[in-house]
Amino acid sequence: MGEVTFICKRTVISTKAVEPGKFSPLSVLDRIMEGNHVRIVLYYNLPTRRRPGELTKRLRETISEALSAYPPVIGRLVRTPEGHWTVKCNDAGVRMVEAKVNGTVQEWLQNVDREKELMLVHWEEIYHKPYFWSTFYVQITEFECGGLAIGLSCSHMLSDPTSATMLIKVWADTTLGGQTAPAPVFRPLPTPPQQAAAANTTTNPTSIDHYKSGTGGGGGGACTPPPTSTITLQFSQESVARCVAAAGPHATPFDALTALLWTRIRRIRGAGPELSLSICFDARSVLGLESGFFGSCMVFNKVAGAGLSEDVAGAATAIREAGMDGDGVMEVIEWLERESEVRLDGGNNDVVCVNLESVGVYGAVFEGDAAPLRAACYVEPVGGAGKVLIMPAVEPGGRVAAVTLPEDEAKKLLEDTWVELQGVVPVVVMGLPKK
Amino acid sequence: MQDILLKYMKLGYQYLVNHILAFLLIPTAIAVAVEILRSSPARWNSFAIDPIHLIFCSFLAVFIATVYFMSKPRSIYLVDYACYKPPVTCRVPFSTFMEHSRLILKDNPKSVDFQMRILERSGLGEETCLPPAIHYIPPTPTMDAARGEAETVIFSSIDSLMKSTGLKPKQIDILVVNCSLFSPTPSLSAMIVNKYKLRSNIKSYNLSGMGCSAGLISIDLARDLLQIHPNSNALVISTEIITPNYYKGSERAMLLPNCLFRMGGAAILLSNKRRDRSRAKYKLVHVVRTHKGADDKAYKCVYEQEDPQGKVGINLSKDLMVIAGEALKSNITTIGPLVLPASEQLLFLFTLIGRKIFNPKWKPYIPDFKQAFEHFCIHAGGRAVIDELQKNLQLSAEHVEASRMTLHRFGNTSSSSLWYELGYIEAKGRMKKGDRVWQIAFGSGFKCNSAVWKCNRTIKTTSDGPWQDCINTYPVHIPEIVKI
Repeated sequence: MGEVTFICKRTVISTKAVEPGKFSPLSVLDRIMEGNHVRIVLYYNLPTRRRPGELTKRLRETISEALSAYPPVIGRLVRTPEGHWTVKCNDAGVRMVEAKVNGTVQEWLQNVDREKELMLVHWEEIYHKPYFWSTFYVQITEFECGGLAIGLSCSHMLSDPTSATMLIKVWADTTLGGQTAPAPVFRPLPTPPQQAAAANTTTNPTSIDHYKSGTGGGGGGACTPPPTSTITLQFSQESVARCVAAAGPHATPFDALTALLWTRIRRIRGAGPELSLSICFDARSVLGLESGFFGSCMVFNKVAGAGLSEDVAGAATAIREAGMDGDGVMEVIEWLERESEVRLDGGNNDVVCVNLESVGVYGAVFEGDAAPLRAACYVEPVGGAGKVLIMPAVEPGGRVAAVTLPEDEAKKLLEDTWVELQGVVPVVVMGLPKK
Repeated sequence: MQDILLKYMKLGYQYLVNHILAFLLIPTAIAVAVEILRSSPARWNSFAIDPIHLIFCSFLAVFIATVYFMSKPRSIYLVDYACYKPPVTCRVPFSTFMEHSRLILKDNPKSVDFQMRILERSGLGEETCLPPAIHYIPPTPTMDAARGEAETVIFSSIDSLMKSTGLKPKQIDILVVNCSLFSPTPSLSAMIVNKYKLRSNIKSYNLSGMGCSAGLISIDLARDLLQIHPNSNALVISTEIITPNYYKGSERAMLLPNCLFRMGGAAILLSNKRRDRSRAKYKLVHVVRTHKGADDKAYKCVYEQEDPQGKVGINLSKDLMVIAGEALKSNITTIGPLVLPASEQLLFLFTLIGRKIFNPKWKPYIPDFKQAFEHFCIHAGGRAVIDELQKNLQLSAEHVEASRMTLHRFGNTSSSSLWYELGYIEAKGRMKKGDRVWQIAFGSGFKCNSAVWKCNRTIKTTSDGPWQDCINTYPVHIPEIVKI
């Protein structure tokens, strides 16, 4: 029960030939995520029963069609004369892996853990010769008793979770045959206004702290990080509402839940004020970019841990203040363009909380009106102190928090009684591996 | 001035020689008529015809006419044909091909570089297709996958053909299938009989191992059968199944077919029935087959063998082009007298006599085949083959356009490439009634086969066929080297 059997691996190309000689440059926000990758898994229970492999065949055809709108996705990484990465749109395609699992989706979801879930989404680290390395991997896993899992993984240099989800949605719309989502837009980020370029001192000190601590260059930290586990907690709509109420005025669900989890983790770790938090958010809306903007647009900001009280409300306020507006993001972009060696490869020691509230994972419907039963998202590698991803839940208003921590801390978090805030009790949808 | 004079002299000479009979008979007839009219009516009575003589002469005339019509070979018509269009999801762009090659042959970078150089100069485009089994990493050429490819290619072509001709399965009298490298048991022809529930007294034949020129061998066989069986039709299937023949080793001479061979197939309906005469597209005029296998070098130039690691592949020798040139010369020598106008044949004869008797240093006269044919379909075996033939036969770029564009869009589809080329000419609206087409195919053995067709009715461009969605983007300029 619940055994994943690998069937085959192949390359899927687009239906429309790409004009040769085109390049798609990467922005600073893209290049800074070198070494990171995104993995998304969507689970479906499908209404009609089909012969094994029939649905996979259809999905293969529709993804070929959908990829015609994404020349950079089917291209390969090359270096520019200046030594930066860029994408050559050479029409090489994406890798597709096909697999099958015995049993039903429900049985799988009851027993799933991080290691098993990652078997549903194939990923390969960059090759010695990157020109032959596919930056996107798609896995289609059919459940023998009905059901489907779609896995998409990609280099964070080319796409963040928002764009990856958009690609899956376009694929789903093509399969369904109805109206499609807006076409993706591949263009550079807006450039900062010229007059601020001279004055270095006007940059907000904290906004680049997170980036500065990440200049690992080469090997990350001196010691290997401890083994981590991922647990997924689901907060119902009432739990979220109560948490938001307790977090004070103007708090968003992200602020409230992040504050809650941060205070819990601090207590478990006994770290006190030294444990700081960084938040990561999608800067598309503050930069005024169109929803079809394809690429990596995640911006980090450090939230100071010193001098903060133990309660949720205080933490939530600090988190909300760490949010940036358009100008703030522009300053970060400007700074990054000057410092070309910065890489975020998990070498720092903050807990990173990623705001994926606006990622529409449940919009990808492949057949009938079967929306995904569950969605999981991983942003690897997880470094330093741990990572929390806050995503929407299937239930409107609810939230899902995927928490990756060192194994023993994750265990303690599961055993936590959550007495502090009454009524805010999460349901554990994915726990630790059963030994 | 000199050139124009020479041109008009040449035209005058051609007109004179080609219509020599008219030039001789018309003055003679006029002279006789004038003589008869001039002679007095009295002389007419001396020409009294004996009734016995009259009966005898008319009996002789009828007898000769009957013998002539009985011994004349039946006319064979090509009613219609259909080419397989692979699904666009089977497309193999250059970069995907090279990437797979690099992943599979990771221990042989020199072989990978060789493949890249071949592909860059091959004349293929980015839309040629390989069967699904070859898209896997690593490729999985199982027998099941090969049968799957055969079924897809052959059944799609036949369905297409049945739709355009209204042919019913039970009406097929003769079935000839040619597929060189895949020969399962039961045969591909049995597979077709099973799928379409053909009659139990069908005359079915399966030709395997005969190389890229087997398409015309099948047409020749069908023609001979249609001579024996009156009022019949023949379904000819020409294809090459790529799945089982993907070379997995690293010998350079054997990697060439991987780069050039692509998925394709054609179904052709031939008939000798009277009622198909008006709706048929072409009439088969000649089929000329030349086999150079008696020569050892020609026999071994395309040779299937195991490489030092035991992997089976097809070895192409370095003298391939020279041998192809020799085979072509042989074929031309036979077909020339059948198709060339008298003017060209005379010139050739004079030059031949001159070289033998007067001066051996005279350049041999290459007959101008452009006067015998309006369209040429040269097997798209590779860019080198087309270049060589264009040079040898002194053809213009437009004459070889169909071959080059077929190589670009579909790759080397082996025996069916001639039909894609014919489809190109029709899709461009260039085929008019009375046009003569010359199909030339080369293949292992070494064989050079030709077929001559005459267009029976002007063919309108239709909205179906393998070229329908891309014909307007052709012809394209194919660079010498494509940078991958």
